[in-house]
Amino acid sequence: MADFLSMYSIQHWLESCPQGYLAGTEYGHGPDEEEPALLLEDPLLREQAIATTVQLITGERCALAASSGLINAAPDEPSKRFLATQTLDEARHVEIFTQRLLDLGVPRNQIEDTIRELANPNLVRFAEVLLEKVDKKDFVAGVVGQNIVLEGMAFSVFEMMYAGMRDVNPKFAHTLSGTIADERRHVGFGENRIGSLIAQHPEKKPEIERMQKEMSYWMLATFADSFRNTPAREELQRARAALSGYGAPRAVWQGADLNALEPEEMERLLADTVLKEFKIRLSRIGLEYQTPDRP
Amino acid sequence: MSRAPADVHQLDPRAFREEVHSFEFWFQSVTGYLAGTCFGQHEGIPDEPLEPAERERLVTVLCNYCVGETAALEGASGLIAIAPDRLSKVFLATQVADEGRHLEVLLNRLAQLGVAEPEQEIERRASRSLLQFKRRLLSLVAGRDWEAALLAQNVILEAMEFTVFQHHARGADPRTRDVLQGIVKDERRHIGFGENELGRRIQAAPHIRARLREVKNELDHLVLETFEETLRQLGLAASDRPELGRHYLETVARLGFE
Repeated sequence: MADFLSMYSIQHWLESCPQGYLAGTEYGHGPDEEEPALLLEDPLLREQAIATTVQLITGERCALAASSGLINAAPDEPSKRFLATQTLDEARHVEIFTQRLLDLGVPRNQIEDTIRELANPNLVRFAEVLLEKVDKKDFVAGVVGQNIVLEGMAFSVFEMMYAGMRDVNPKFAHTLSGTIADERRHVGFGENRIGSLIAQHPEKKPEIERMQKEMSYWMLATFADSFRNTPAREELQRARAALSGYGAPRAVWQGADLNALEPEEMERLLADTVLKEFKIRLSRIGLEYQTPDRP
Repeated sequence: MSRAPADVHQLDPRAFREEVHSFEFWFQSVTGYLAGTCFGQHEGIPDEPLEPAERERLVTVLCNYCVGETAALEGASGLIAIAPDRLSKVFLATQVADEGRHLEVLLNRLAQLGVAEPEQEIERRASRSLLQFKRRLLSLVAGRDWEAALLAQNVILEAMEFTVFQHHARGADPRTRDVLQGIVKDERRHIGFGENELGRRIQAAPHIRARLREVKNELDHLVLETFEETLRQLGLAASDRPELGRHYLETVARLGFE
């Protein structure tokens, strides 16, 4: 255990992250990178960007609460130190996405009201299921919920967004690429650390699998809201096409061109990708994936 | 979005707090003084051999520093849950990473000194007073008493460490000095947060001061006992020890806790 945990040391984190892929950035992107003018000028696109960013902040605030809460539940000192780096990563994510709201023109004194108004209640329920375990200082359930389910979801969501943003919004894509690197590390810790603990405590499996099933349901409900309930969809598609530009390259993710997909198709692609990854990661650590109810 | 001006003190109070408590500020600061270091030590720092008795005393002191930093790590992470606003949560997240780093670089120094089982040594050599302090701090955090826990963590514990580390660094071997000087830079930031946050709260609700004075009085004797034990290990002259106690009390008195 000592050897693999050395890859999760603070020294390693310093070298990869602030001295690595974050070097030269401000709030996760290049100092001269800005949101596209069309995004700021088109009310629908701007509104959608704000709504999406609010969900990212909601998720990251949950991750910040969970990772900091898990430090005092961790059974060993190297795990505490890794979670310290994860706590800081999550705080950075909260900050950079909050900064994005400011960049999108949300007044500073309206940030909290905006988040309160737009946070998806299903995502809030998703967070509550996880934080209940953290509050009880249940390290094993907490790390599965946080580092496999939450971070696994975030990883795929960010990858999909990155694919969609790379050519139309390089600033936001740059921001996302740093968070993807962080989430990869967080998921890796979950997979590597928890397997042995689950083997030592097989009696915890049913409860953890129930938690996974419930979190997965609330996650799917969040996706459904995000993709299905978009106002003025046709107008939004036209505006997005203008943002992409005539002849813009395809935005490929998981073999599909995101620019060519209907919202329901994107929802299905994202949900299937995330659930498939859950299945793989959970089986690696000795847990049986539970199929969630469909909202 | 443009960055804040180079001199943050030009900002109005709210903007100042937003700037200096941000991840971004932490990031720009630490990538400066931690650049080129490995486990808190710059490349090429000589390894000065120590006499056996000197090494033994240093190991005891570093073990107790690890107790303090573990208390700070657990305290700061617990404080995130009860922090009253987003900015405080983000700042505390940077403090959590700092404290984790301190623990790591101290453990690394112990390994360099040939300590094979640091956990066992820490348990064997831990100061009773410091362990008692840690328990009290974590009980304040668990009790969700934001002001009292912040006083204990970011004023008292940080001032204690700041004072001791600064003094120790002056007479330390080069590698230990390098590690401690990096830690002291972080502690300065942590004390600043505590002073700022508590100062504003006391100004808005002066009755808090009396309650916090009680907490401070309770913890002071543990701090001074810990000082006495640590400074004896460091081989500091008896005449220097009261000065350290005074320095600590002055640091804390800036908030008006006489």
